[in-house]
Amino acid sequence: MSSRWIIAAWLAGILACAALISQTRFTNDLSAFLPRAPTAEQRVLVEQLREGVVSRLVLIGIEGRASAELAAISQRLAAALRADAGFASADNGEPLAFSRDREFLWRHRYLLSPGVAPERFSAAALRQSLEEDLELLASPAGMLVSRTLAADPSGELMRLVEQLGAQARPATQHGVWFSPDGKRALLVAQTRASGADIDAQERALAAIHAAVPETEARLLVTGPGVFSVMSRSRIKGDAWRLSVIATLLIAAMLLALYRSVRVLGLGLAPVASGALAGIAAVSLGFGSVHGITLGFGVTLIGEGVDYAIYLFTQKPPDSTPQAAFERLWPTLRLGVLTSVCGFSAMLFSGFTGLAQLGLFSIVGLIVAAGVTRAVLPRLMPADFSVPAVDAFARRALAVVRAAPRLAPAVLVAVATAAVFLALKQGALWTGDLASLSPIPAAEQRLDQQLRRQLGAPDIRHLVVVHAPSEEAALQAAEHAGARLQDAMREGALAGFDSPALHLPSRQTQLARQAALPPPEALGARLGEAAKGMPFRPGLFEPFLKDVAAARSMLPMDRSALEGSSLALKVDSLLVRSEGGWSAMLPLRGVSDAATVTRELGSLPDTVLLDLKRESDALYRSYLSEALHYALAGAAAIVLLLCASLRAPRRVFAVLAPLAAAVIATAALLSVLGQSLSIFHLVGLLLVVAVGSNYSLFFDRVARSDEERGRTLVSLFFASVSTVIGFGVLAFSRVPVLHAIGATVGAGAILALIFSAVFSRHARPL
Amino acid sequence: MTTGVSALIIALALSHAAPAQSEVRWGLPELMQELRAVKSAHGRFVERKYLAALSAPLELSGTLAYTAPGRLEKRTLQPRAERLLLEGNTLTLEDQKRRRSYALEQHPPIWAFVESIRSTLAGDLETLNRFYDVRLEGERSAWRLTLRPSEPSMQSMVSEIRIGGRGAWLEAIEVLDAGGDRSVMTITRDAS
Repeated sequence: MSSRWIIAAWLAGILACAALISQTRFTNDLSAFLPRAPTAEQRVLVEQLREGVVSRLVLIGIEGRASAELAAISQRLAAALRADAGFASADNGEPLAFSRDREFLWRHRYLLSPGVAPERFSAAALRQSLEEDLELLASPAGMLVSRTLAADPSGELMRLVEQLGAQARPATQHGVWFSPDGKRALLVAQTRASGADIDAQERALAAIHAAVPETEARLLVTGPGVFSVMSRSRIKGDAWRLSVIATLLIAAMLLALYRSVRVLGLGLAPVASGALAGIAAVSLGFGSVHGITLGFGVTLIGEGVDYAIYLFTQKPPDSTPQAAFERLWPTLRLGVLTSVCGFSAMLFSGFTGLAQLGLFSIVGLIVAAGVTRAVLPRLMPADFSVPAVDAFARRALAVVRAAPRLAPAVLVAVATAAVFLALKQGALWTGDLASLSPIPAAEQRLDQQLRRQLGAPDIRHLVVVHAPSEEAALQAAEHAGARLQDAMREGALAGFDSPALHLPSRQTQLARQAALPPPEALGARLGEAAKGMPFRPGLFEPFLKDVAAARSMLPMDRSALEGSSLALKVDSLLVRSEGGWSAMLPLRGVSDAATVTRELGSLPDTVLLDLKRESDALYRSYLSEALHYALAGAAAIVLLLCASLRAPRRVFAVLAPLAAAVIATAALLSVLGQSLSIFHLVGLLLVVAVGSNYSLFFDRVARSDEERGRTLVSLFFASVSTVIGFGVLAFSRVPVLHAIGATVGAGAILALIFSAVFSRHARPL
Repeated sequence: MTTGVSALIIALALSHAAPAQSEVRWGLPELMQELRAVKSAHGRFVERKYLAALSAPLELSGTLAYTAPGRLEKRTLQPRAERLLLEGNTLTLEDQKRRRSYALEQHPPIWAFVESIRSTLAGDLETLNRFYDVRLEGERSAWRLTLRPSEPSMQSMVSEIRIGGRGAWLEAIEVLDAGGDRSVMTITRDAS
């Protein structure tokens, strides 16, 4: 094929990729980095994290003013959010919401109260109620009781209010919630959209900030949705900014080296083509591209740019580009294949995000190498050679010849690192799903602090009940609730919430209605009970009337809750799920999970989830899966090298520096206090991918000292570009990008040094 | 002569004006100052509750003890032992069956209610003004404070509190409930 056609095909390919990318959907949905959940419990977990009530919570603190001013701001903000269609609720302790709830509780008290049972309305039980009422009337709370006494002598409303109020609430100042030190007004809002809808979350966040100008007071806003918005903008910002910085730095270095803008431009062509092809491939393979995958554009610069460096720097002045390339290609090809083997492990990962990274890297590297092969020799100036090579080469040769003297020291250091890792073993890897969170630790701490102050659910223990229908799910929730009551009496937990507390099953409502006596019977029993007591005759008419009305009331359904804050609660605790309905009962203050599990024991389709334990277990299983794939990738690399090099000694010579670099990097990160996550593992894979080029070139037998010098210079600049690319990434505020940047930055240098130290061809020819 | 008469009239006017002026000068600030000077007080009370729900008033009796500036204890002895203790920002209710404590900040209407008595005893006009429109009638030897809640949440509970007294002693506290109930507490100085 003629050069012209090849270059035309290349350009057409780039245009096709660009066209495809312009149609691509880019996501920042963090669940791409949550594992694909295999079990029903884990699906509930992941669903809750993505969509559930927890994901819609926005916690707000207002600081920096006198408490009276903060209270006024809090009231204004709450009013603004309540009027905003994007918010389902805004709570700051004002009695507003409660009065609506109270009205609902009052209207439905005989259907809602767990106290309603046939024995409750016998003459004897009514007598006891009335005696208690009389005592209450005489007490300081008497005036409150006298309001509801006539219609509710058995105190059902009180029971319901106490049940609701059992949840911890923050302290109040000037009528709104405050932190215990009184310096921070507190609000909790709930968005209508799920936490996974980042655009809606961004609008919600903007509405909050619009209501309280920065000049007025300091706003602290946290919550899963807020975190998604922040990390999206951060990933976007960092991926873009760091890519630009890394590109500029590398370009400046290469320009100084090549002294030719044309060659510099050519040198970036393989990387750019690779990145475009990688994104296009991910888009085709997954339907969308994750922001973090894009962040890896940076990492590809690190390796892809090396290919051009090898070609340009290793070309002797008196050779044609094609001849120089032919000399280079066998080693380069093996390096690319080695990297592909390493990354192919990631393709099988259960993390969509990791699989995307794998595909992106493989396609990107193959295309970058292909462009280096097909396009660069044809376009580079025939008489080009790097001007400064000779001076560099002499020094590089001297350094490399001296390097093997360090071998004993390096061996000792690597052996020490290996022993260190072996001793640490399990403790080396973090088992915490939170390590995948793109949120910096300081913001996670603020979130926890606000949560504690607000008494917001930090949902850890959750009883999940599955049933084929809504009614069956509510009934099952009631059965589970009865068992939980038993567990509470044993002191195993402090309390629990249940959708059935606010919306009892139809069956229970009908049973309560049946427990209410007919008006004449109730009137007669009440008359008997009140005999000799000072109650005004006819006082309890409203009670008789309300009971009669409750007996013929239609059982309430979800629509009866509309307008109260209980509607939101029921919606979040009772959800349609795969093949039916799920009811969720969040537990508070669990001190003895074993007892709770035992109490729930025989109930069908009822499980106690420890979300923290569950999510960590999920993470650990994926970490070990990823480790297995990585080991499989390593095995594939060994096989590949055995097949290509055909000499065990050479295979060992190529692999030893890589293994040493991986061991030393892992130990170094661990010593520096990093708990290694899946992302560090990806980083180590990249170290193998990049480092394999170095050790392969060191392994290559040089034809002359001059060629050897050129090779060393090309390796030096290739590694510098890698260190720049990844080193810049280490400055990212996004933990994922930071982890990979730090790992590869350190690992690449070590791989180069170890390759030199363990080199068999260091001595002069 | 004319000047002499005028001088006499003026002198007479002044001599009448002097005591009148001192009467006028007795007002809320003076009452509060006098109340502030009291460091502790003990008394017996009889409280009658006229409740719409009951055909006869409930009668309670017991003792009251106040220690400046923030401690107030009400012990009901009849018909049933019960103790109410207000100390700082904590209200404690205790009877034979149970004991409950409330942080006042969390229950604004209750807070407002207890301050009507405690802040009057303490001569703390600032706190009274925070919760109530305060009006004073009468004179030092027989005064009446009328407190009307300014917060809607409190208005829905209590429409008016009237406190009658003589000098630095509170003699009667009448609470008009927004629902039409009424309670009257009369306090007598402890014999001891």
